[in-house]
This record gives sequence, C-alpha cells and structure tokens, in this order.
Amino acid sequence: MTGSQLSHIAMEIGVTLLSNGAETYRVEESMHRICMAMGALNAEIFVVPTTIILGMTLANGDHMTRTHRIHTRGIDLMKVEFINSLSRKVCYEEMSYEEVLTELHRINSTPPYPYFLQVLALGFVAQMFTLFFGGNFEASCIGFVIGVGIKLQIDVMARFETNIFFINIVGGLIAATVALAATGLGLTSQMDAIIIGSIMTLVPGLAITNSIRDIIAGDYLAGLTKGIEALLIGTGIATGVGIPLSLLSAFVRV
Amino acid sequence: MTLIMSCLYAFGGAFAFALVFNIPKNKLVLSAIGGLLGQLTYVIFQTIISNDVALYFLATIAISLYAEILARVTKSPTTLFLAVALIPLVPGGGVYYTMVYLLKGNIELGVTTGLHTLGISGALAMGIILVSSSFNLIRKVMIHNKRKNKATAIPYKE
Repeated sequence: MTGSQLSHIAMEIGVTLLSNGAETYRVEESMHRICMAMGALNAEIFVVPTTIILGMTLANGDHMTRTHRIHTRGIDLMKVEFINSLSRKVCYEEMSYEEVLTELHRINSTPPYPYFLQVLALGFVAQMFTLFFGGNFEASCIGFVIGVGIKLQIDVMARFETNIFFINIVGGLIAATVALAATGLGLTSQMDAIIIGSIMTLVPGLAITNSIRDIIAGDYLAGLTKGIEALLIGTGIATGVGIPLSLLSAFVRV
Repeated sequence: MTLIMSCLYAFGGAFAFALVFNIPKNKLVLSAIGGLLGQLTYVIFQTIISNDVALYFLATIAISLYAEILARVTKSPTTLFLAVALIPLVPGGGVYYTMVYLLKGNIELGVTTGLHTLGISGALAMGIILVSSSFNLIRKVMIHNKRKNKATAIPYKE
C-alpha cells in the first residue's frame, strides 16, 4: 500500500466518523491506529468538529500531510457503529486498499430508516414526553402533531442550509404557537406539558453527551465547541418559545 | 402508578429517539432500556432522597454504568447507548419555566429556577465524567497489569 492510499483510507474513515456524530477523541484514536497498523512510522492527527489534519511519516522516511474540511454534519449512529467495527478489523486483519474501499462504500450507501418512520418517530417523541411531563391523552395527541410538524420544518430548513440557531428558534416558535392555539380553541388545558414535551424533540442530546466525553478525554477545544453548540440550541429553543408566549398571550386566556 | 407509567413513557421516548439517531436494528431496544433505567433509578430513590439534583446525579450514574458496560459487551461506541438514555433526564421543563418566569417579569423566581436547572445539568455532566473516568482508569490498570505479567513471563537473559 502506498502512502497516498494509506492516508486516503485513514482520512475517509475519519471524515465518515466525524460527520456522523462520533466523539472527537474517537476519530483521532481510530485514525492513529489505522495509520500505525498499515505501516506508518509516526502519525499526528488533529481534529476539531469542522476540520481534520493528518500528518504522518512513512516507512521510507517521506512526510505527508492531508487536510479535510467538514461542511455538513448529521447524526447517523449506524454509520459510526459500522465504521468503528471496520477500523477494528483494519487494525487486526490484513486488508487490501480495494477491500477497504468497497467496505467503506457499502457503509456509506447503507440506507437510513424509511422517511415516514423517522417523521412518525419524532411525533412519537413529542407524544411520549408530553405524557412524561404530566399531560393527558388529548394533550399528547396535540404533541404528536407538533412533533411531526417540527420534523418537516427541520428537514425543509436543513435543505437550504439554514444555521442551527435559526432552525431551533422556528421549531420552538411552532411548538408554542400550536400549543397556544389549541389552548385558545379550548382543546386542552395543559399548555405547559405540551410545549415542554414537544421541545424535547429539539433537545441536543448527542451534542451534550459528546461535549462532556470530549472534555474528559482532554479535547477541550472540541468539547467547548460542542458545548457552545448545545447552549446555542437551548437558547434558540427558549427564544422561539418565548416569542409567541409574550406576543400572543394577549389574545389567548391561559 | 403514575411513577411506573413515567418509566414507560421514558422508554417510549428513548426508543423513538433511537430511531431518529438511526441506531442499528439489533440495538434499538437495548439503548431504549437505558432511558427506562434512568427514570426507574430516579423514581426508586425519590422515596429516600428529596433533593432532586442528587436524584439526577444518581440516575446519570446508573445510565452511564449501563452504557459503558453494554459498550464493552457489544463492542460498540458508548455514545450509542448514552446519548439516547440521557434524553429523558435533560431538564427541558426547567429551561421552559425559567423562560416563562422571566417573561412574566418574575426575575427572582426565574433566576432561582435557572440556577436549579444549571445544577441539574452539572449533575448530569458530573455523573458521566465520574463513571467514564473510572472505566478508563480500570481499563488502563488492566492493560498495565497484562504487560507486567507478560514481561515477567519472558525468561531474563543474563
């Protein structure tokens, strides 16, 4: 395997991991292990949530550097899991360049769950958490509708590459407006439970978890970035919920 | 009864979130059980402890232990189980009420609720840090011991 092939494989694995929601230290560790297992003398890898820099010394003494900028990040833990087992396999077994590439291609083209199931799932999240925060069954059905609406809104806005802060403001706005309207129409009396339950669909659970785990692992820069992302999302949701609550509450008796 | 139902709701919510995170089919239920476990710990210790920051801390320790052990057993990333299980514990209600109080001009109550929410978030972070760091320590001690045993097994050449 040549140096450029080695760095290509390591970089592809790192990029797939990072852009699908793995922790930063996992990306660094996997890339380092792959480089060492495939015959590099030394490898230095620097990862932040938007960039990967890989520099290594090859067995013949040449140096090589590669960088990659990550533009879109999503959450797909299935890919993280599969790439994790692939990198384990690459380290312990002899695999050729083509074999690894076909395996990578197979993982990257694995289809996610069908779209209607994802929409239903987010509606179900809102319904369950409305019940969880003390709503009754009618309230939870309104929560379900809001959840489905928020999922569609997120996808439409993500297609136009809107920033994450604005997506969450609009999401919170939808949740509070629909809940207020339902209360105003006399469909339910549990507005608080509906709003709290349906904004749980926007909660940045993965960002919080990864930020904490990165900070423990010593990646303060990446951990802080993720932490600020989580904080921004939270502020965005609160802002979005606050706008209709303060403007529309004049028309609706709560 | 409502307490038991809340555990089931946490399970349902976590399961749906596992679908949203696109977790592989064979680990969907396993990761959702984490959500149930967190709420169950919270409910059980509620009978003894009245301070809910401590309750959140205990619940986070329970789910982190669950996630770390399961990740070692199934050889998959810890995040897979931890991110899903953590969601029912996220203080969404605290953030909402903080904002409502501040909007209504009740600054004192708003700041109190806000600090309380911050305390809960801190408890979540501390719980994860505690368990993860101890697991890392145990792993490193085990690797160290293995190396030491190997080194003594090789006959010493003089």
